[in-house]
Amino acid sequence: MDQIVEKPDTLIGKPIPKPDAPDKVVGKTTYINDMVLPRMLIAKIKRTDRVHAKILSVDISAAEKVPGIVAIATAENSPKGLIGVLKDNPPLKGDKVRCIRDEIAGVAGETEEAVDEALKLIKVEYEDLPGVFDPEEALKDDAPLIHDDKPGNLSLTFDFEHGDISKAEKDSDIVLEEKYELHYVTHTCMGPGCVIADFDTHGKLTIYTQTQYPYNYKMDLAPALDISAGDIRVIQPPVGGAFGSKLDVYPFEPIAVYLAKKARRPVKLFFSREEEFIASPTRQPARVYIKQGAKKDGTITFRDVNVYLNNGGYTSWGATIPAVMMRTMTGHFRIPNVEFHSKAVYTNNPFAGSFRGYGNVQATYVTATLMDKMAEELGMDPIEFRLKNAQKPGERTPQNSLLKTAALADCIKIGAEKTNFLEKHAANVAAREKPGRIRQGIGIATSIHNAGGAKIHKSDGCGTILTMDDYGRATVITGASEIGQGIDAVITQLVSEELGIPTSDVIIANNDSAIGPWDVGVHASRTTFIAGNAARNAAVKAKQQILAAAARQSNVSIDKLDLRGGHVVQKDNGVSVTKLDRLLRQMHFAGDDAELVMVSEYYEPPSELEDKNHVGDISAAYSHGAYITELEIDTLTGGVKLHKMTCVQDVGKVINKLGIEGQMEGGIAQGIGYGLSEELIIEEGIVKNPNFRDYKVVTAPEMPEIECHFIEDDEETGPFGAKGISELPCIIPGASIANAVYNAIGVRFDNPPITPEKIVRALHGDKIEAAE
Amino acid sequence: MSAKVDITFTVNGAVKQVSVPANMSALDMLRDQLDLKGAKEACGEGECGACTIIIDDTSVCSCLMYAADCDGRTIETIEGVQTEDGLDPIQQAFVEHGAVQCGYCTPGMVMQAKHMLNKNPNPTEGEIQRGLEGNVCRCTGYRKIIDAVAEVARS
Amino acid sequence: MSTIENYLAPSSIDDAAAALAAGSATIVAGGTDLMLQAGSGQKEYAPTLINIQKITEMRGVSLDGDTIRIGALTTITDLLTDEIIAEHLPVMATMADKFASDQIRNAGTVGGNICNASPAGDGIVPLLMYKAEAVLASKPNGSTETRKVPLDEFFTGPGKSVIQENELLIGVDIAVPPAGFVGGFGKFGPRPALEIAMAAVGLGGVVKDGVISDVRVAFGAVAPTPIRSAETEAALEGKKLDETTISAAGEIASSSISPITDIRASDWYRRHLIRVMTEEILNDVS
Repeated sequence: MDQIVEKPDTLIGKPIPKPDAPDKVVGKTTYINDMVLPRMLIAKIKRTDRVHAKILSVDISAAEKVPGIVAIATAENSPKGLIGVLKDNPPLKGDKVRCIRDEIAGVAGETEEAVDEALKLIKVEYEDLPGVFDPEEALKDDAPLIHDDKPGNLSLTFDFEHGDISKAEKDSDIVLEEKYELHYVTHTCMGPGCVIADFDTHGKLTIYTQTQYPYNYKMDLAPALDISAGDIRVIQPPVGGAFGSKLDVYPFEPIAVYLAKKARRPVKLFFSREEEFIASPTRQPARVYIKQGAKKDGTITFRDVNVYLNNGGYTSWGATIPAVMMRTMTGHFRIPNVEFHSKAVYTNNPFAGSFRGYGNVQATYVTATLMDKMAEELGMDPIEFRLKNAQKPGERTPQNSLLKTAALADCIKIGAEKTNFLEKHAANVAAREKPGRIRQGIGIATSIHNAGGAKIHKSDGCGTILTMDDYGRATVITGASEIGQGIDAVITQLVSEELGIPTSDVIIANNDSAIGPWDVGVHASRTTFIAGNAARNAAVKAKQQILAAAARQSNVSIDKLDLRGGHVVQKDNGVSVTKLDRLLRQMHFAGDDAELVMVSEYYEPPSELEDKNHVGDISAAYSHGAYITELEIDTLTGGVKLHKMTCVQDVGKVINKLGIEGQMEGGIAQGIGYGLSEELIIEEGIVKNPNFRDYKVVTAPEMPEIECHFIEDDEETGPFGAKGISELPCIIPGASIANAVYNAIGVRFDNPPITPEKIVRALHGDKIEAAE
Repeated sequence: MSAKVDITFTVNGAVKQVSVPANMSALDMLRDQLDLKGAKEACGEGECGACTIIIDDTSVCSCLMYAADCDGRTIETIEGVQTEDGLDPIQQAFVEHGAVQCGYCTPGMVMQAKHMLNKNPNPTEGEIQRGLEGNVCRCTGYRKIIDAVAEVARS
Repeated sequence: MSTIENYLAPSSIDDAAAALAAGSATIVAGGTDLMLQAGSGQKEYAPTLINIQKITEMRGVSLDGDTIRIGALTTITDLLTDEIIAEHLPVMATMADKFASDQIRNAGTVGGNICNASPAGDGIVPLLMYKAEAVLASKPNGSTETRKVPLDEFFTGPGKSVIQENELLIGVDIAVPPAGFVGGFGKFGPRPALEIAMAAVGLGGVVKDGVISDVRVAFGAVAPTPIRSAETEAALEGKKLDETTISAAGEIASSSISPITDIRASDWYRRHLIRVMTEEILNDVS
């Protein structure tokens, strides 16, 4: 009798648990921080205690004598190569220190105790130099020069012009001009910084790292090491979070390599939490001057944006965030005339790196609060004004981003409808006039982000190799990195869907650069889209190979066959033609005709690099979101309690319901922190709150109810229609909260985080004058 | 080197005898001497809960507890939660609800959830949130963790 | 980090006092402050580390006549469920609920919170309000003696107190508050949990026919030590708790202190919070 295999429900859109979750819940997962290699040494860094100083001498003689100390690396005895986007950062500093993070020496020893002791005994003599901590101050002629070869302390600049803003300003009925001061926040990955370096006897380096871009990492690391990038093998053990912080090489990594080379033993270098706060990247603080005009009818006429980024002592990827910031400043809403100018300026502060949202958190805080203000000035409601300026399907932004769908307007409309926005908004405004300690607020913010990769490198591709074993299991070797975000689950799901096998029959291999094919890394909300397409296309190729073999064997034509439930079946009636595993063995053990199912795919998205004027459709797709915050404020203490965040986002297609919700909620928590509580306080270059007590990440009791509405508009280039989604949830909440705060108390804040003290000062300012 | 202290205690049902420096934390002892690396050191200051263990039916941050203070006591770590029958219901719920992303906070979160449910088998959502207030998660936004604990409480 | 040469875990007050008499020692209870401070170099270990956790007679709350003893090893969590606390000293439970996090409440002790002598020590504020007395044991001449120090005379600066090197805090004694005594505790930090107070208030008194007497007011995080506010107490004593009194008390509370400005809060905001919380508690009890 024929075996009938019923067509199973699609896996797309289902809640699929992450394959790495079971090991994580039982405490079995070995994170890089947990790893111990045979004969491994422990290493730490001697950092400076100055923010700007000439190094006169470094004396390691006493430290070397500490029992158990095996190697000490200093600028003098280590390779001289540089790291960083502008190659301006020597991993070990020999001539001068430029910020409080600066590395004087690396010390490797048998025990942590010995290393701690040795660190104390390293003597450094300095000649202090005047410091500069503000980007506009640092641009002045008489400012201290931080790098001799960087005149004017200028790091990277970005400039874009479109239309005629002077004319547009003259033609405007209203013009608003604002200044924003956007603060330092940091990733606070739960797994503190850690790296393990190990050389083999051929002189080739194996580096165990937390990196989220393993292939570029080799390229960026090699110049600091005096070895070829080809001689570096990158292994990525499980990491405790990344969020963009691992998109760069940081000095501690080459320092561990120098020590491993000297010691001829594996060296593990790791951070304390305090060090993690002081010496790992931050989001780029930005001072933004913005002017925006509109006609009486609400049509935006122009935007003029000038940004000063506090680059800190060295140039990391953080200095390139204007590339993304600019897309929102110029292209979020229809802006017919626009200029954007940014300067990243060296200061003696710790340097910023990349962080989820990559400049768009800052851009969105500015644009979304300004949109709110302009609506009010025009006498329009916040929804009407936004809809008036939302682009239509097929429009291109001034930088040539093609907006295929009308998702922005849809997001706004759905959000307003689901929350009864206008009614609540008006009621809260009216309530401001009445007495009462507690005020309710509702606010909306929107943004746009690349959702089909972002072509900032010459390739935005991902390689995938898919093989099938004799038992019907698929192994997917992908360049994409799993850093906790859940790409393994997504790839498992996409491959299972195509091959008709259970998700438990898919194995993902992706943590070894010696095995995996190239990928740009986890950034720019690109992995589900790019790696997902690569994996799916590989699965389609494998499927074709399998079905072709089945067709030959069964004399049923290939277009009438399908894979389902571990069988090759006839598509129309589900009758099993053969079991998949049996067929695979028959293909494999077919003597001269033997074939192994082993396919590869290199997926490069249909997008273009920007030209020198920053024009180019850099992503295959874009995504919009509208987030609405409902909150209450205690006007006496300034305490803010979030009730609910309603998030409408254009996601193309939900692949993994659990994964997408998790990315939304997690991003929102970080976005709430940006808006309300998180700030790395840096005074005169010194980090004042390097701990979780005073750097206030959001905790469980603060999380509001979250309601997500996904607009599924089936992106034609995405895997099963999916877009990348995971940065918008972090980008929008801060601005949404700021607008809700305004709705509650009638005060706008151009300097997040909106802390209770800032709220109270704004509300009771007269009493402050009296008291002081 | 600080003085060594000989201690005897029970961890995950097994009696252990170890000699620990007087200044060593329980976390370092578990990780470095007993090779129980499930509990994590994410802050070392009792501010994140990643090192949470249960000692004598009470959850504590093992990073702030002296190893010597374990003498004569009974400890449960994340490694002892799974049984031969499989995952503990809390662990199962964490998997099924997507309460795990990077997972670094997860062992501490599971131990704290277990302690909370031992003390209060029927918590409200607000009580779950309060119960987890000492455990920082940077990935999930807590909602799915709260959902997972709520489901275990319901069943 | 300094080296610990001896580790002792006495099981009685007598043994602990004897150990302290022998020379310089560091005492550890729950460890939540000491481990942190020793790890960061903020505090150095004395040659002997004395773990007092095994002294079971020092844990728990007891009532003897009109005096309540809270043993130094009573954990903050114990305060949340103890019946004597609930009946006589409910503000201690209110405080405990706002203290750090569950894990820290489970390990941290009342005695540790006192001996750590933090200007922002949550537990100290309601104890000052309840006029607690520290009970200190020592064994200077071969026999264990105790002395009592009113808590408002106990602290001498941040991390500093009158406790002598050979003394052990074994608990605090509190006279059962008079009938009709009501009080409250307020603490403000932006998050519900894991916060060091920006400012804290403990306030109580006997309220009868709308008039408050036997007033006790204590503040945290506004001075080098937690303090009692005699000015605020005077402004309230014997007054009818109406809007005028409450507002005046709030004004005096905020102007009677000179807090510092640091990364957590400005002096102005601390004074503002003290005023707000003082008035809030007074409104609650009136």
